[in-house]
Amino acid sequence: MATIRVRLGAIQAALWIGILLVWGRAAQLQLIDGDRHREQARSQRTELVDLPAPRGGIYDRNGVPLALTQEVFHIGIAPNELNDDRNTQAEINRYIEAVATNLALPHRDVARAVSGSRYAYFHGPFSSAQVRPLAGIPGVHPEGEYSRFHPDADLARSLIGFPESPGRPASGLERSLDTLLQGVSGSAVVLRDRSGRRYESPSRLDAFPIRGSDVYLTIDADLQEIVESALLDALVEYEATSGDVVVMAPATGEILALASLTGDGTAQATVLTNPYEPGSTAKLFVAAALIEHGLVSATDSVWGEDGEYTHAGRTIRDVTKMGWGTLSDVIQLSSNIGIVKFTERLSSSHQYQVLRDFGFGTPSGVEYPSESRGILRRPSEWSGFSRASLAMGYEFAVTPIQLASAYSAIANDGVLLRPTLVRAVRNSAGDLIYQHRPRPVRRVVRSEVAALLREMLVGVVYREGTRSLAALTSYEIAGKTGTSRRVGPNGYIAGAYTASFASIFPASDPQLVTVIKLVDPRGTYGSVTAAPVTRSVIEQALATPTGALDRRRLTRGVSDEVPGEPRSVWEGSVNRYDWPRVTGVQDRDTVALVPQVAGKSMREAASMLHERGLRVVVDGWGRVNGTVPAAGDTVAIGTLVRLRTSGGAPR
Amino acid sequence: MTVKGRHWVALWLAFVLATLVWVQSRQTSSLLLAGELRELREDRAAFESEKADQSGRVRSFRSRSVLIPRAESLGLRLPVDSEIVFLEFFGGRR
Repeated sequence: MATIRVRLGAIQAALWIGILLVWGRAAQLQLIDGDRHREQARSQRTELVDLPAPRGGIYDRNGVPLALTQEVFHIGIAPNELNDDRNTQAEINRYIEAVATNLALPHRDVARAVSGSRYAYFHGPFSSAQVRPLAGIPGVHPEGEYSRFHPDADLARSLIGFPESPGRPASGLERSLDTLLQGVSGSAVVLRDRSGRRYESPSRLDAFPIRGSDVYLTIDADLQEIVESALLDALVEYEATSGDVVVMAPATGEILALASLTGDGTAQATVLTNPYEPGSTAKLFVAAALIEHGLVSATDSVWGEDGEYTHAGRTIRDVTKMGWGTLSDVIQLSSNIGIVKFTERLSSSHQYQVLRDFGFGTPSGVEYPSESRGILRRPSEWSGFSRASLAMGYEFAVTPIQLASAYSAIANDGVLLRPTLVRAVRNSAGDLIYQHRPRPVRRVVRSEVAALLREMLVGVVYREGTRSLAALTSYEIAGKTGTSRRVGPNGYIAGAYTASFASIFPASDPQLVTVIKLVDPRGTYGSVTAAPVTRSVIEQALATPTGALDRRRLTRGVSDEVPGEPRSVWEGSVNRYDWPRVTGVQDRDTVALVPQVAGKSMREAASMLHERGLRVVVDGWGRVNGTVPAAGDTVAIGTLVRLRTSGGAPR
Repeated sequence: MTVKGRHWVALWLAFVLATLVWVQSRQTSSLLLAGELRELREDRAAFESEKADQSGRVRSFRSRSVLIPRAESLGLRLPVDSEIVFLEFFGGRR
C-alpha cells in the first residue's frame, strides 16, 4: 500500500515538475524573450523596403522640359512559375508572344528563357507602356527604377550633365543642383509570404517618398537651339576647331543661352571652364578705367606711329594703321599702339583694380561645378611689358562667361551682376521656393561712363569705312572684336588664334549681351568670323517668338502714349526688375554699413561685402572671425575691408 | 427569461466572431486598395512616360533643325533684320 502511495506521489510530483517546466518555458518565451521572438516573427513575415524618390525635373525659363525622370523597368522571368501545370501549352505560347511583342524582344530569346530552368533577366530598360500589358502573366516580374530622360537629347547637353550613376560621377547642373533635385526617399513595411513574395499593405507605409524640386533654368530653349545651331554652322564654315557662345540678359545677370562645341559637334562646357586671352575685347576695360578716373578727355589724342611702335623693348603693331586718334578712335580701330600709349596714364594698381572690378581672376559664381576663375596676376608679379600686354588683352585669361558678365556691367549702366543659370525652384508641391533676383556684385563704373563706353562700342560696329559684319540695319548693335594668339604648352603657337566678338543688343536699351569665341577659325580675325555669327544669332532671335527678347522694347511706329506721362522702361518687361536703380548698389559718393560676416565661409563673406560695394582683402584662411573695420561700422563705398580668419595669417 | 451562463458564452462568441469578420474585411479592403493604388501608380507612371515621349516629339517637330529645312524646301528663308519690324499694338496699353 505504502509502495503504491509512494509511486502515485512520485508520478504526481513528476507531473507537477513537468507542468512547472512548461510554465517556466512559456514564461521565458513570452515574458523574458518575448520582444526578441516577436521581432523575429515580424521580420519573417514583413520587410522594410526603401521607396526611392523621383528626381525633380529641369526646365527652361518658359517651362520647356530639358531633363525629366520617368520610371523604367527591367523584366525577370521565372520559368517554373510560367510552366506551372495550371497553364496549358497554348497559354504559355500566348504569354511568350505577348512578352516578345510588347518588349520588342526576339521571340526566340523569350522562348529560350521560358524553356530553361533558371531565372531569366531582360535588362531593357522598358517603358511603363511596354510593361503594363504584361501584368497578370505568371512568372513575369517587372523591376522598376527611375531613369533620367532628355526630351531633346542634344539641347544644352553639356550644361545639364548627368546625375550620378554606377561607374559615372555626376556632372553639370545635375551635379551642382543635386541636393535640390534628388528628393527624399520613403520607406514602407510590406508583408511577405513563405515564398518571399511581397504583399503591399497601405497601413504600414512609414514615410512617403518626397519628389525632388523642379528647377527652372534661365536658359531659353529656343535661343539655346539658335545658338547651338549657329555655332555649329560657324565651326563648319570657318573650319574652327571649337567654339563657345554665351548670351546673357544684362539687366538681370540671367544666362539665356550657352554652348560649347568642337568642330565635330561634340558638346563641352569650355564656355565655363576654359579661360583664354581675350585680346582686343579687353581694350574696353582700360578705356573704362581711364574715363572713370578722369585720366582722359574726349579730345585727348595719341599718335598711332603709322602702325609700328616699340615699347619696353618690344615691337607693337596695328592691323589698321592709325594717325592721331582719341580714345574712341583707338577702341573703334582696335589700335594696340593707341591703347598702350593711353595705358601709360594709368597706375598698375588702377589697371589691376579695374580688371578685378569687372570680375576677372575670380569665379563669376554661376551655379556650375568646376567653373574656372581665369588668370589675373597681381601687379607685383608683372614684368615691364605686362601693363601693355594687359591693355591689349594678353597676360590674363578669362572665360566667355566672365567676359559676357563684364560687358553686361557696361550694358547695365556700370553695375556688375552675378550671372546665374537658375531662375526659379519649385518644390514637389509646386510651391515656389526660390526665385532669382538680380544680385549685384559691385558698381564698376558710373552710369555715364558706361553710356560713353557703349557709344564707343557702337562706333566699333558702325564706323564709316570699317562697318562691322555684325552691323544690323534696323537696330543698333554695340560690340568689340578680339583676335588673340593661342597659347600651347611651349608658348604661343604659330598661326593659332582665338577670334571673338562681344556685343550688346540693342545698344540704346540693352537686352542681350553676346560673346562668341572661335578657336583657330579660317579667316583668323574676330571681325570676319565671330562678328557675323553674332549677327546671325540676333537675326534668328528676332525672327523667333522667343521669350528672351522683350519685343515691346523693340517696337517702333504707332504709340498710344499719354502725353506728359512717360511709360516706365520696366513696364511689361520680362527681363527687367526694378533693381538696381531703385535700391541695392549704392554709388561711390555714398556710404555702406560693414555687415556681420563672422562664422561665414570666406566666399560667403566676400560676396556679402562685394554686394555692399566694399572691396575685400583676406588675412589667412578658413572661416571668417571678423573684419577690419568691424561689423556695424559705416564706411565709404569702395573701402578695403580686411577679413580676419580662423586660420591666422597666410603661410 | 433568465439569461443563463451558456447564453453569455454564445453572446461573447458572437461578439468575437463579429469582431474577427470586421477585422478581416478591413484587411481585405486594404489589400484591395493597395492593389488599386499600385495600379494607379502604374497608370500614372505610364502617362508620365507617355507625356515625356510626346513632349520630346513635340520639341523635335518644332525644332529649328526640322522646321528650317522644311521651310527652305518650300522656298522660304529666314528674314534679315531689316525685314523684321515690331509694331506696337494700337491701343494696346492696358
